[in-house]
Amino acid sequence: MKLELGFIKINDVQFSNECAVKDGILYVNPEDVKAFIYDNDDVKTYIKSITLDIAKPGESVRITPVKDVIEPRCKVAGPGGMFPGVISKVDTVGSGRTHVLKGAAIVTAGKIVGFQEGIIDMSGEGAKYTPFSKTLNLVMVAEPVEGTKQHDYERAVRFAGLRCATFVGALGKDVEPDEVKTFETYGIMEGAKLFPDLPRVGYVHMLQTQGLLHDTYVYGVDAKRIVSTLLYPTETMDGAILSGNCVSACDKNTTYHHLNNPVVAELFEQHGKTLNYVCNIITNENVYLADKQRGSDWSAKLAKLLDLDAVIVSEEGFGNPDADLIMNCVKQEKQGIKTVLITDEYAGCDGKSQSLADSDPLADAVVTAGNANMEVVLPPMDKVIGMLDYVDYCSGGHAGSLRPDGSIEAELQIITGATNEMGFNCMSAR
Amino acid sequence: MAFRVVHYINQFFANVGGEEMAHIPAELREGKVGPGMAFETAWKGEAVIVNTIVCGDSYFAEHEKEAKEQVVAWVKEINPDMFIAGPAFNAGRYGYACANIALEVKQQLGIPVLTGMYEENPGADYKDKILITPTANSAAGMRKAAPTMAALALKLMKGEKLGASCEDGYMPNGIRVNFFEKERGAKRAVKMLLNKINGKPFVTEFPMPNFDRVEPGKAIPDMSKVVLGLATSGGIVSKGNPDRIEASNASHYGEYDIEGWDALTSEGWETAHGGYDPVYANEDPNRVMPIDVLRQMEREGKIGKLHRYFYSTVGNGTAVASSRKFAEEYAQKMLQAGVQACIMTST
Amino acid sequence: MKSPHRIRIITNNPLVKTVLSDYYTIEYYEDLSLREILVKVRDLVYSGYELFTHPMAGSVKPNETMFKSIVVGTDMKGVEIAHCNLMMNALITCDKFKPLGVQYSDYHIKDFQLIDYTLLCGALDFDAIAGLSKANF
Repeated sequence: MKLELGFIKINDVQFSNECAVKDGILYVNPEDVKAFIYDNDDVKTYIKSITLDIAKPGESVRITPVKDVIEPRCKVAGPGGMFPGVISKVDTVGSGRTHVLKGAAIVTAGKIVGFQEGIIDMSGEGAKYTPFSKTLNLVMVAEPVEGTKQHDYERAVRFAGLRCATFVGALGKDVEPDEVKTFETYGIMEGAKLFPDLPRVGYVHMLQTQGLLHDTYVYGVDAKRIVSTLLYPTETMDGAILSGNCVSACDKNTTYHHLNNPVVAELFEQHGKTLNYVCNIITNENVYLADKQRGSDWSAKLAKLLDLDAVIVSEEGFGNPDADLIMNCVKQEKQGIKTVLITDEYAGCDGKSQSLADSDPLADAVVTAGNANMEVVLPPMDKVIGMLDYVDYCSGGHAGSLRPDGSIEAELQIITGATNEMGFNCMSAR
Repeated sequence: MAFRVVHYINQFFANVGGEEMAHIPAELREGKVGPGMAFETAWKGEAVIVNTIVCGDSYFAEHEKEAKEQVVAWVKEINPDMFIAGPAFNAGRYGYACANIALEVKQQLGIPVLTGMYEENPGADYKDKILITPTANSAAGMRKAAPTMAALALKLMKGEKLGASCEDGYMPNGIRVNFFEKERGAKRAVKMLLNKINGKPFVTEFPMPNFDRVEPGKAIPDMSKVVLGLATSGGIVSKGNPDRIEASNASHYGEYDIEGWDALTSEGWETAHGGYDPVYANEDPNRVMPIDVLRQMEREGKIGKLHRYFYSTVGNGTAVASSRKFAEEYAQKMLQAGVQACIMTST
Repeated sequence: MKSPHRIRIITNNPLVKTVLSDYYTIEYYEDLSLREILVKVRDLVYSGYELFTHPMAGSVKPNETMFKSIVVGTDMKGVEIAHCNLMMNALITCDKFKPLGVQYSDYHIKDFQLIDYTLLCGALDFDAIAGLSKANF
C-alpha cells in the first residue's frame, strides 16, 4: 500500500472573515468552523457552546484541561476520507494522497469529569515537555448542555474535535504542498523479494482500551472489542486510529500522535535500507486477564505468521498496560522475535521507586520516555484558555498545586504528551 | 577560594610499592600524590587536593575498623568540601576500601564523596549508597576517568543538581533522573532494535529490576520425618541483642538456640530490625519467627523435628552480597546438622 | 456480558453495588480504602482464588481515586504465581504514590465511582450505559 503525504507548511494561524490557506498562513472564520462542527446530532444535543481561540509558540498562554490534539489533514486522492468509520465512511484508507497542514494543530479542551487533566503551556518551563508548545494551535473549548452524561459528552467533544480538524484540514485540499513524501509497504511475498537480505520488522502498537475516558477507536470500532490485527502503517496516517483517552495526560497517545506515529516514521526512515518494515500489529490493553492473554498471544502469533525477525512494542498509559507490555515482549522473545520496548516510568518524586508495575529479564532492550512523577513548577501565564479549577484534582496535581499567583506545582504527569510512550519526545531517564 | 578536597589512595598509586607493601597503615600527606594530579589539572584551580591519605589495601581489609576511625578523624580535622577515593579500576581490595571509606566519610561527616572503579569490581556493589564513576579495568583508564570524576566532583562541591547517571558519569544508583537525549525515543528504539538484530552491543535505558531468582527445591511429600531449619531476615534475636546485629545494613547474622523454648516470649526475645515498627514483633516474636506453631506441629507429628538453632539477620538495607555470604555459611551449618528443609521468614 | 457464574466482584464502589447486584455476586465493603481492597484481593489470590481482572485497571492514579473493583473466582483453584505477582506489584505501585491531601467534593467522588464502574463493565462486557440509566445515575 502506498500513500503520498503532501506537507503544507503552516507558519501562522489567524482569525479572519474567510477560511483559507494562503502563503503558509491558515485563516479561519470561527463562525464557519462552528457551523460545520455543529452539523452533527451528538454535538447539537450535548454541547451548549463552543469557543475557538488561538495559541502560538512562545506566547504566555496555558491551555487546560486538554482532551485531545488533532492534526488537520485532508484526503486528496485515493479511497476513503479522513477518520474512517467516524467522520468519513468506513472505506480502507492509507493509499492515494493526503495533505497535511504541518505546524498546525486542533486542541480540544473542556472538562468531562471532575478530575480532568492535561496542560499545554506555550512558553516557560512547561513548554519544554509538551510537543504542542511548538505547534500553532486552534483551541476548541466546549461547554456541555446542563445535565449531559459524561459518556455522551465525551463522545460529543470527540466528534466536535474531529469535525473541527476535518473542516480545517479540507482547507489544504487544493493547496500545492511544500514537500511530498511517499510511504509504501509491500505484500509479504513482494517485500521478501524486494529486500531478501533485510530483517523483517514489525511494530506492535498497543492501544489504550479500558473503559470510559480510556478508549481508542479503530475505524470507529471500540478497540476493547478487537482481537489483535494487522494494519498497513499508512492507515494510521489517515486517521484509522483515534484517541478517546482523556486520562494520564503525559502518556496518552493523542490523535495527533497516532497520525504522526513516531515509530512508524522512524521505521519508514530505515525501510529498504537497514530493515524491511512489514506492517503494524495493533493490540489492546484490556482489564480482563484472559483478554490480555489473548491479545498478546495473537500479536505474537501474527508476528510469527509474518516471519518477522523483530518488533518494536509501544505502550500507552500506566499500571495495567505494563502487564500487556511485558506479555507482548516475553511471548515475542520466546519465539525468537527480538523486541525493543518503549515505555515511561513512575519512579516516584524521588526517582527511587520501582518504575513499572511488571517486569521480566527478557525485556532487555527498553527505551524510556522519562519519570512521570518528576516535579515541575510551571510559571503563571498571562492567559488561560479553558479553565484552571481542575488543576488540584488531576493526575500529577495535589492540594495547593495551583498557587495564588497562578503558577502550578505538579508532577510531569499533568503535561499533555510529556512522557509519550511512542517515543515522540527526546526526554529520557537513567 | 578554591574548593578543598581530601584524596584517598592505596600504596600502589602512592608509589610506595605493590602487594609487598599492602600492609602499610594509613598515613596522612600534604597536598596531592600520584593520580591526584590528574584531578587538579582538570579542576583548573577551582579545587585543590589539600591532603592525600595513603593506606595499604591489606591493612584496610585486616584493620577496617581502625582504618576507618583514623581516616574519618583526619578528614574531620581537615574539614574539606569533598572526599574522593581512588579510582580503583579493577583492583578488588582497593575498590572495597574506596567504597567503604567513602561511605563511612559520607555517613559520619555528611560531606559529598566520590570514588571510581571498574563495574565488575566488588566495591561497585556500593553504587546505590555512594556515587561511583565507572572506569576501565586498568589504570590506563585514568586519562578518561579523571575529567569525568573531576567534573562530577566539582558539581557536587558547588551543590548543583545531579544530572542523569549517563550525563554526569556515575553508575546507575537506583535513582531515576530525567534528561533530554539528542534523538527522540522512537529513533533510539529503532537504533537499539537494529543493534539487537545484528548482534551488536546495545544498552537498555531501563534495566529491568534484577531479581536473584532461585529455583525452588523439589517438594517434600512427607514432612513428618524431616528436620526443619529456620532462618529470618526479620531480626529476631535473644533479648538484649547479644551479637549486636545492626538495625540496618547488617554485617553479620546470629545463631540462636531454641532448645527448651515452646514459643518465643517477649521476655526472652526481641527484634533488632530498624526498618519496621518493632512493637508487634517485640510483643510476640512468634509473629516473625513462628516457633509456637512449629512446636505444636512437631508435637502433632506433622514435622519431624525443629533444628535446635535458628539463624537471624536484619534485611533492612543489607547488601545482597552480604546476605548471600551469610546464607552460604549458615546453610552449610544446617546441612551438617542434617536439616532437610528450611523456612525463611521475612518482614 | 460475561457469565456471572463462579465469579464475584470485590468492591468498595457503591455504584457497582447499585447497578450490578442484579447480575453479579458483589462483595461490597463500604469502609475499605482502595489499598485495603487490594490487600483483601491479594490475600484471596495468595490463598488460591483465581484473579480475573487486572488490579491496576485505569489510568486514574491510586492516590486520586478511592474506588476499586476487582473480579475474583468463587472457587479455590490453587495458587497462580503470576496472579500473586500481579497483586504484589499492584500494592508496590499503589504505595509509591504519595497522598495528595485533596478534599474531593461529591461531584468528584461520583466521577471516580463512574470511572471505576466503566472499567469494570469494560472487563465484563457489560453495557455500562444501559446499567447507568437503570440506576438513574
